[in-house]
Amino acid sequence: MTFDWGIIWHYRAALADGVAMTVLLAVATMLIAIPGGIVLALMRLSPLRPVSAASACFVEFFRNIPLILLVYWAYYVMPVAIGIEFSAFTTGLAALSLNVSAYNAETFRAGIVSIRRGQGEAALALGMSQWQVMRQVVLPQAVRRVLPVLASTWVSLFKDTSLVSVIGVSELAYVSLQIRSQTFRILEMLTAMAAIYWLLGYPQAKLVDWIHRRYGVSE
Amino acid sequence: MLGDLDFSPLLESWRYLAAGLGVTLALSALTVVSSLLLGSAIGFARVYGPVWISRILTFYIDSMRAIPVLVVLVWMYFAFPLVAGISLPPFWAAWAALTMHVAAYVAEILRAGINSIRPGQTRAAQALGMSGAQVVSKVVFPQAVIRMLPALGSIVSVTIKDTAIAATIAVPEYMERSQTLAGQSFRPVEVFTTAMIVYFIILFPATRAVDMLYRRVAHLGRS
Repeated sequence: MTFDWGIIWHYRAALADGVAMTVLLAVATMLIAIPGGIVLALMRLSPLRPVSAASACFVEFFRNIPLILLVYWAYYVMPVAIGIEFSAFTTGLAALSLNVSAYNAETFRAGIVSIRRGQGEAALALGMSQWQVMRQVVLPQAVRRVLPVLASTWVSLFKDTSLVSVIGVSELAYVSLQIRSQTFRILEMLTAMAAIYWLLGYPQAKLVDWIHRRYGVSE
Repeated sequence: MLGDLDFSPLLESWRYLAAGLGVTLALSALTVVSSLLLGSAIGFARVYGPVWISRILTFYIDSMRAIPVLVVLVWMYFAFPLVAGISLPPFWAAWAALTMHVAAYVAEILRAGINSIRPGQTRAAQALGMSGAQVVSKVVFPQAVIRMLPALGSIVSVTIKDTAIAATIAVPEYMERSQTLAGQSFRPVEVFTTAMIVYFIILFPATRAVDMLYRRVAHLGRS
């Protein structure tokens, strides 16, 4: 069997577009899922039972279903349920955002809860308002605990964007698989796809390890 | 639009779906077992092995953390036969790919668990005259394994979720069967919504069990 590795160079523009779409999807998802996660975490910590329960249900549901199923579900069910047709990109973005928001909510909640209650009480005793306590005492410390976990979530998200290829979002996996079926250069294209993901993901994984060492809180 | 739901195709094909669920559970169970074995071997070799082995294994683990599981699956099923000259049936290709992937995570959990035990304990045990094997089996590992339990438990739900991606290489598991049924019955809303509920019913107790386990045993891992 002969291989033609030139095929990768030949399709470089399409692959670069795929990479750009992958990065765009990951960034857009995080931009939605960080505020989404904060809102869900604050809801979860609310003293109002229905608010707290609604957030808990949302988080537990989306953490406990496979993402690929959520992508299909968003593709087939969302238009019927809401009555609006979305583009594949919007659908994929919605599915990823729901998933990552749920994970981020847990991350933020754990971060806020990890700051001892006494600190908040001490700050209140000093005459700070609830809002000041949250903003000046709890959040600055919580960020340190949250950042490493967020970084890990980012790496997972970056890989998970490959799953929206099943509904035809033209990110890296979709583009590579399309070129493969058009050219029948199976080994070359699949290896190129793996290599490009590796080139993008490996430095990120190493960076995350560094962030864990730098900011991680150990006992 | 959601008023005219028709779940009858699901009822008519319940055997077909149940068989798919069986494949999902079988693939998950096999993958969890093989990943724990392979991952432990990799983790131990990385921590206690010679430097060059440790470097190679670190590279392997970090590469698996960098490449999406979909890519590993597709490569294993479509590209591996072209290199190796043997083609694997979808189920075994998925098993091999998922094991390669999940084992890397197991190895990483093992390393984190072992490294979380303070080095002073190892030195103290050595000072008492214990051999290297004794230090690991009697002092470090019993504490490390308790700290690792929640993370290892979550491997179960991660694996079950990842088996759904095996639908892309036509493993006849629950996700793939749902897709087929959705296509044949033109009832994707009902089929995929049911699939969500089915996966949730399997995964939710698994995550809850891990949380409970963690609360029960966490104090045992303190040093």
